Amino acid sequence: MRAALAQASLIRHRSRTLLAVLGVAVAAAMLLDMVMLATGMRESFRELLLSRGFELRLAPRGTLPFDTDATMPGVGAITAILRTNPDIREISPVMGGSIHVRVGNRDVSGSVLGIDPAVQGDYQLLSGRDPTTADAIVVNDYLLGRLGARAGDTISVATGYDPQTRTYSGQRRLVITGRVKFIYGATEQSSSAMRRETLESMSDVSKRDRASLFMVKVRKGADAERVRDWIDAQLPNVTAISIATAIAQVDARLSYFRQLSLILGAVSLFVGFLLVTTLVTVSVNERAGEIAVMRAIGVSKAHVIQQIVIEGVAISLAGAVLGLGLGLVTARYLNAILSAFPGLPMAIDFFLFQPRAAWSALGLLIASGIGAGVYPAWRAASLPIAESLRREAIA
Amino acid sequence: MLLFALASSLLLQVTSPAAQSRARELRTIAIDEAFAAQAHLKVGDTVTVSSRPGATRTADGSESGGDLLYSEAVIIGAIVRRGADPSEVARGDLLVRMHLDQLQRVSGYGDRVDRFAIATAPSTPVSEIIDRINHVAFGFKAYPSREIAVETSRTFQVVSRFHRAIGVITIVASSVFLLCIMVLKVEERRRDIAALRLMGISRSSVVRSIVIESALVAVLGCVLGVALGWAASLLVNWHYQALYRTPLEFSIVTPPIVAFAVALSLILGIGAGLLASLRLVRTPPLQLFGR
Repeated sequence: MRAALAQASLIRHRSRTLLAVLGVAVAAAMLLDMVMLATGMRESFRELLLSRGFELRLAPRGTLPFDTDATMPGVGAITAILRTNPDIREISPVMGGSIHVRVGNRDVSGSVLGIDPAVQGDYQLLSGRDPTTADAIVVNDYLLGRLGARAGDTISVATGYDPQTRTYSGQRRLVITGRVKFIYGATEQSSSAMRRETLESMSDVSKRDRASLFMVKVRKGADAERVRDWIDAQLPNVTAISIATAIAQVDARLSYFRQLSLILGAVSLFVGFLLVTTLVTVSVNERAGEIAVMRAIGVSKAHVIQQIVIEGVAISLAGAVLGLGLGLVTARYLNAILSAFPGLPMAIDFFLFQPRAAWSALGLLIASGIGAGVYPAWRAASLPIAESLRREAIA
Repeated sequence: MLLFALASSLLLQVTSPAAQSRARELRTIAIDEAFAAQAHLKVGDTVTVSSRPGATRTADGSESGGDLLYSEAVIIGAIVRRGADPSEVARGDLLVRMHLDQLQRVSGYGDRVDRFAIATAPSTPVSEIIDRINHVAFGFKAYPSREIAVETSRTFQVVSRFHRAIGVITIVASSVFLLCIMVLKVEERRRDIAALRLMGISRSSVVRSIVIESALVAVLGCVLGVALGWAASLLVNWHYQALYRTPLEFSIVTPPIVAFAVALSLILGIGAGLLASLRLVRTPPLQLFGR
C-alpha cells in the first residue's frame, strides 16, 4: 500500500522524477568511482606484489627496489645468510642493468634483468622458453617490435655503449628464446631478462657478484614481518621491505589520490542527498492537502512517514543502479588516463572494481536516501490537519 | 654560460668526533631541508658521503675496504630550500648538492656529466644555436629547455588530464542538479503563474520574469561559488605545500578560470529557467490550478 502510494506520487511528475534520478545517477557514478579509487589502487598494488608469491624484497639500505642504481655486493654471502633462516623458502636475486642493440644505423636500448630462471618472479612467459642457457635472452613485445626481431632470432647485445665513439662494450650474441610480459614493467618500456651469470659476464668487474634486489618467499604460516626484522638485524647494508611496508610507501606517494577521492566522494554524496531532499520536500509541500486528508480519514503518522521515506529511497535506489553502470564506464575512462603515468607498472589499476566497493557506494546512497526523506516526511506527518484542509479548500 | 650537471644516488653517514677535528680541511656540501630534518643534521656537521654502502676508499688514496668507489668526509655547509619542481613533488627524495668534481669522484663517474645547461644571450636565436650544436655534435644532442620541461612534466600532464575529466563529470552533475532545482522552483509557483496568465499577463512576460529571476540566482550563485573556490584553493595550497614541503602552487584561480565558471553557470542557470518556464506557460492556466 505504502509502496503503491509512493510509486503513484513519483509517476505523477514523471519528468521531475526522471531528472532527479538522473542527478542521483551522476552523483552515484562519481561516488562509486571515488570508492574504487580510494581502495582499488592499494588492492591492485598488493595483488601485483603478491602475484608471484614473494612476500619480502631486499634492496640496498635506504632505497626502494630499482629506485636508484645502488646494488648489494656479495650475492653468495647474502644468500647463504638467508638460507640459515628455516622460515625462508625461496630466494631470487635480481641484477638490473641496460642493454644496447644496434639495429641498422640506430642504437636500440632497453633495461635488462639478470635472474635465476628457476625462481624468478619478474615476468610471465607468453611463448617460447625461459633463458636457461648462457646464450639465451627473453624480451617483451615492445622491445621485440623495436628490434624488428622474432623469437628464435640471434641478436648482438651489449651492456655498454659510448655515444661519443659509438662503440659497444660487453657485447655478446644471444638467442631470443621467448616472449615475456614483465609484471612490474611500465607501458612502452623495452625490457629483457637473461641469466644473472650471463649479465655478469657481459658487465665490467665492478658489477660482479652484485644484486639490485632479492625477492624472498617465506614458508607457509611463517610471519613475514618477523622474517623482515630478522633480515634487517642480520644484514646491515640491506633494507628488507614487506608487502605492508611497500604499500605504506606507495600510499605516502599517492596520498593525493586518496584525499581527492575522499573529498569528491563526500561532495557527490552530499549533492545526491540535497537533490533527493529538495525533490521530496517540494513534493510534500505540493501534497499538503492530500496528506491532511489522509491523516483526517485515520491514516497514521508512521504510515505517512514511511510512504515519503520510500519515495526518497526509490529515487536513490533507481539513481544508484543507473549510476553504478555509469560509474563503471567512467572508471574505465579515468583509469586509462592515469595508466599513462610515467614508470607505472602496466598491471596497476587506479580504479579496481571490487564488489565491496559497489556495495559500499550502494549502501551509502540508500542511507542518504533514507536520511533525505526523513525530514520532509516528519514535516508532512506533523502538519496541522484542520489548518491544512482549510488552506487547501481556499486555494 | 655553461652549467654542468651530474645526478647520482649517495649515502651519508655521520662521522665520529675524531674525524670532525679535521673539519677545517674538508670541503662543504649543501643538503635540503627535508634531509636535514630527517637525518637530524645541521650546518657544520661532518658526514661521510659514498655512492654505495661499504665504500671505504678515501679521497687521499688510503683504502680500508675492498670496494672500488670512494667515500669522502665533508661538512654540511648549507641547508637549502628546494625549488618548485612538479616532477619531484611526491617522490620524497632527499637531495645533496656537491661540487661537480667531488661527485664525479665519489660516484666513480670520472670526467663525465649527465647534461650541459647553456644560457644564451637574450637576442640570440636559440633554434639556430641548437642546429649548429647538433650539426657538429658527436655522441650527444641539444634540446630546447621547453622540450625537456614537457618531457619531465609528463606526470603532471597525466594529473592535469585526470583533473579535466573529473571537471567534465562535475559539470555534467552540476548541470543536472541545477536543471532539477530550477524545474522544481518554477513548478512550485505554478498557481502564481496560472493567476498571472488569467489576469492577462502574456506568456513572454512570464517567461522573461522567470529567466531574469534564474539569471539573478545564477549570478548570486557565481559570486558565492567564486568566493568558495578561492577559499578552497588557498586551503589546498596550504595543505599540500606543507605536506610536500614545496613552494609549488597546486591550485591557481586565474581570471580565465573564473570567467569560464561564471559563463557556464549563467548559461546553465538561464537555460534551466527558460526550459522550466516554457514548460509551464504551455500548460493551460486552469490545469495549473489543478482544475
